[in-house]
Order: sequence, then structure tokens, then C-alpha cells
Amino acid sequence: MRFSAFNALPRLLVFAALLAMPWLVTSDYYVNIASQIVIAAILALSLNLLIGFGGMISLGHAAYLGVAAYLTIYLTAHAGFGHLTGAVIAIGATTVLAMLFGYLALRASGLGFLMITLALGQILWGVAYRWASLTGGDNGLGGLKRPHPFGLDLNDPIIFYYFVLFFLAIAVWCIARFIQSGLGQSLQGTRDQPRRMRALGYNVWLIQWLSFVFSGFWGAVAGLLYAYYHQFVSPQTLHLTTSAETLLMVIAGGTGTLLGPVVGAALVVILKNVVSAYITRWLILLGVIFVAIVLFMPEGLVPGARRALRALRGSSRTDTVAEASSIAKDGA
Amino acid sequence: MATPILEVTGLYRYFGGLPAVRDVTMRVPAGERRLLLGPNGAGKTTFFNLIAGDYPPSQGEIRIFGQNVTRKSANQRTQLGMARTYQIITLFPKNTLLHNVVISLVGLRDIRFNPWSDLRRQAALWDEARATLALVGLEHLADRTVSETSYGERRRLEIAMALAQKPKLLLLDEPLAGLSADERQDVQRLLQSIPRDVTIVMIEHDMDVALAFADVITVMQHGQVVVEGSRADVVADPKTREVYLGH
Repeated sequence: MRFSAFNALPRLLVFAALLAMPWLVTSDYYVNIASQIVIAAILALSLNLLIGFGGMISLGHAAYLGVAAYLTIYLTAHAGFGHLTGAVIAIGATTVLAMLFGYLALRASGLGFLMITLALGQILWGVAYRWASLTGGDNGLGGLKRPHPFGLDLNDPIIFYYFVLFFLAIAVWCIARFIQSGLGQSLQGTRDQPRRMRALGYNVWLIQWLSFVFSGFWGAVAGLLYAYYHQFVSPQTLHLTTSAETLLMVIAGGTGTLLGPVVGAALVVILKNVVSAYITRWLILLGVIFVAIVLFMPEGLVPGARRALRALRGSSRTDTVAEASSIAKDGA
Repeated sequence: MATPILEVTGLYRYFGGLPAVRDVTMRVPAGERRLLLGPNGAGKTTFFNLIAGDYPPSQGEIRIFGQNVTRKSANQRTQLGMARTYQIITLFPKNTLLHNVVISLVGLRDIRFNPWSDLRRQAALWDEARATLALVGLEHLADRTVSETSYGERRRLEIAMALAQKPKLLLLDEPLAGLSADERQDVQRLLQSIPRDVTIVMIEHDMDVALAFADVITVMQHGQVVVEGSRADVVADPKTREVYLGH
């Protein structure tokens, strides 16, 4: 493929930057920010499966993050389960929840789908807020100690960073395979021509539902890591703003790309944590940046940057050609 | 009597209170080329959509290959061996022609549910898709994206995608619509090359091509069958004139 080298380079650069992060930044504070970016990136990647590849815009993706986080903390810190069992149950149960939510939300498409995901997400937020005996209500749920898998001390920020980066790498790998697989290609077909896909023998509903569940699974993985990172979860995690923020990451970075959600996650997390320390009204800055992206790179940062680079390379090539021909003329 | 490939009995479809298809009964035996004629709004495409399973009939029964499919979904009917083309071209514009045909092939294969195997590495699928494109004379454009092709080439791709599935029943909705005279001849030759083990039901307005192609013609008006019979019968029938000339 003629694009592969061109496309792989930015990915490798981002991956190298992520790998080298603890050397690039000086303090634990920034390493922790990097960990947050990585966790948000997993969540954004999972949402991008629905938005970018399935054409299903969801405003309820916080559900999987929050439920997995609540379950992880509740099971391991309050119900006496071990870390591994707790993690497996949390991710398993959250995936089952995605099966149910997918079943309900996929009764509609487009705006209806969006409204159902939003409503389901808000129901969970309400439950977390009101069912105080289980969730701690507004006070949230804490008390989780980070696990020590294979003797690794996850309390060390750098070790924790590589721990979550490992999960991001697996997520990217699995999602990249999914996108090129029969199911992933079918999903992209249902996004572009659902009616044609039915006529070609595809069960559009089933393809969308399976993808929805796959997306929910990776949302749950992000939730598990979120719980390990914060060691605390509150209804805010399940709130609409979390879903909207994730949606923003996907759209800002570029839907339907692998790199886009990672870049988008970095942008939002950095603005939220770093810039907010200097500017009180950081949300205004986020809004301005988002408007700028929509104006100048409506397809998102990653595809927009690719387009700009291509234009740049194209113009430099014509420059070289012009130069070469003028030299040739001079020579003659 | 052999089981007809397509058997429609007492079919109705209302949109709101308006009947788009009224009491249509039709039997198409194996291998037949059936032509649906009728003015705009006669209910031909609605009838097609009912057979294809885009929406259920208000009343009546549809059997394909002897099996009652009235309540079966469009994709289930396709799995039984039916394929269709669209009057309004419905392709995947950002993908290559080859990729379009591969999507068509994958629709009937279990790999459509596989979340892991790379579709690009299924060499047999891509070879088959290339062979199908060769069949309709588009092999040289295989790696172009659909948006870079002409209207006539897209029409042929529509047909290629249907043929790729090796259907036993093929529904063609105006396969010649919008084509130039040369392109018409190409598509006409292509349609004539389809083997007789494929039963074809076609909607077409181009009389010369359609009449040359059809074994049996059904004329529809106001959602109903007005005339049905052989080419000569239908052309001679005064009701045909009435439908087309209005007197």
C-alpha cells in the first residue's frame, strides 16, 4: 500500500513519545497526567469504534467507565474479593451491561440512539447518586489499594504508567485487528449503506450489537484502570459530562482513525489538568480550541494534520520540480 | 408442476391509507426472464422492495424457492439465494470497486462475524472479486474508488455485486437507467450472458432492450397487474396501450 509508510510514521512517533514519556517529563505529577491520558485514550478508542467505524453516536459511554470502576472498588475494597477476581467480575459484568444497553439503544438509530444512550447513562448516574448504602452516594467510593501484579509496585507512578500503557498497546492492537477484520469491515459497511448491507445478506442489527458490546468491553477496561489510578470513584464519573468529554476527545482527534482518539485524549486531559492550573476558565479555552478545530480541521486533528502534511509535501515536490527544471534551463 | 422460484399471492402494501401494491399475484418459474412494465408510480419498485424484504406486506404471501419468506428479513432472504440491484445506485463510494465486490462476497460467508482475521489477507476472496469484475468488464478499474468511476461503470458494479453472490433469483431494478447508448449495449450483453439457472425479474423502461430480453411481461398500473403474458400478447393487448397512452 502506498499510504502505509506515511500512515505508520505518525503512529510510531506517538508510540515512541508515549514510551519515552517518563524521561521526557521531570516530575511524578506529569507522569500521572500521562497515565490519565493513556486511560482516557483507551476509553476514547472504544467510543470511536461506535462513532467512527459504526456511525453510532453515543452520549452514554461514561456508563462503562463508571460501572467498571464502581464494581472494581466495591468488589475488591468492600466485598472482600481478590484483585484478579474483582477485575474479571467487574469487566465481565460491565460487558454484560453493554449487551443490555446495546439491545435497548439499537432499537433506534441516529438521534434516537443518542438519546437512549444518554438516558441510560443518566439512569446509572442517578442510581450511583441515590443508592448511597452501596455507592456512598455523593461521597463516592474509595478505599481501593493498587494491586501488585507479578510483584510490580503500582504505587510507583512510572511503573503504573507502563502498566496502563501496556493495556493501551493491547487495546490499539485488538481494535486495529477488529477494524480490518470481517466483522469490522461489515460494521463500516453498515455505517455507510445499511440498506445495501441488508440486501447483501448482513444482519445489520447483530453486527452493530456485537460491535457495541466489543466497545463496551474496552470501556470497562478503561474503567478498571481508572479505578486503580484514582482509587476512588464518584457519581461524577458516570455523569453526562464524562460522556461528552470522551465524545469531544474522539471528534477533536479525528473519528474513524486509530491515532485520533489518543491525540484527542491527550488534548483534553492536558487542558483539564495542566492548563487549569494557570487559567481558571480553562473550559473557555477548551471551547475556543474546539471551535478552532471545527473551523480549520473539521475532520479532526489527526486527519487534518495528515491533509496539511500531504499538501505541504505536494507543494514542496512541485517546488523541487520547478527548481530542477530551472537548473536544467540554466545548464542549457 | 415444478415449484416456482418466486410465488407471490394476493400481495398488498399500504402507505398511510394509500395502496401502493394491490392484490398482486405472480408466479415466476425457474430460469424465466420476467419483465415488469408500468408508468411511474405503478408500484413496481414497492413490489420489488416487498419481495426483497425491505418492509413487510400489509397482506398476502411471498414464497421464494418454495419457502414462505413473508415474515423473513431482507438479509435472511439473501442468504436463501436472492440478490438485487437498486434503481438509485447504492454502493460504497469511498471504497475501491474490488472492495465493493468483496463486501458482497463476505455477506454470504461466516467471516462477516470474525473480529480477528484480516480481511485483506483472504486472497481467495479478492481473487473471486477480481474475477467477478472481469465478468462485467471492470477488471481494469478494480483498484479505483467508486467515486472516481463513471455512472455507467457504477451501474455495472451494481450488477457485479449482485452476480458475485451467485444468486438463484436476481431482481434488477432499472439496470439501464441513465446509461448512454453504448453503455446500454454493454449492459444488455452482460444481462444476456447470465446463465439460465438464474431466474431474473427486471424493471426496465427501455422497451427495445426489455422486450428483447423478457420471456414474460407483467404490466402494472395503480399497484395492480393489468396485463400479463408473452411479449406478443402484451404488445397486442389494448390495455397495454391504455396504460401507456391513456386512451
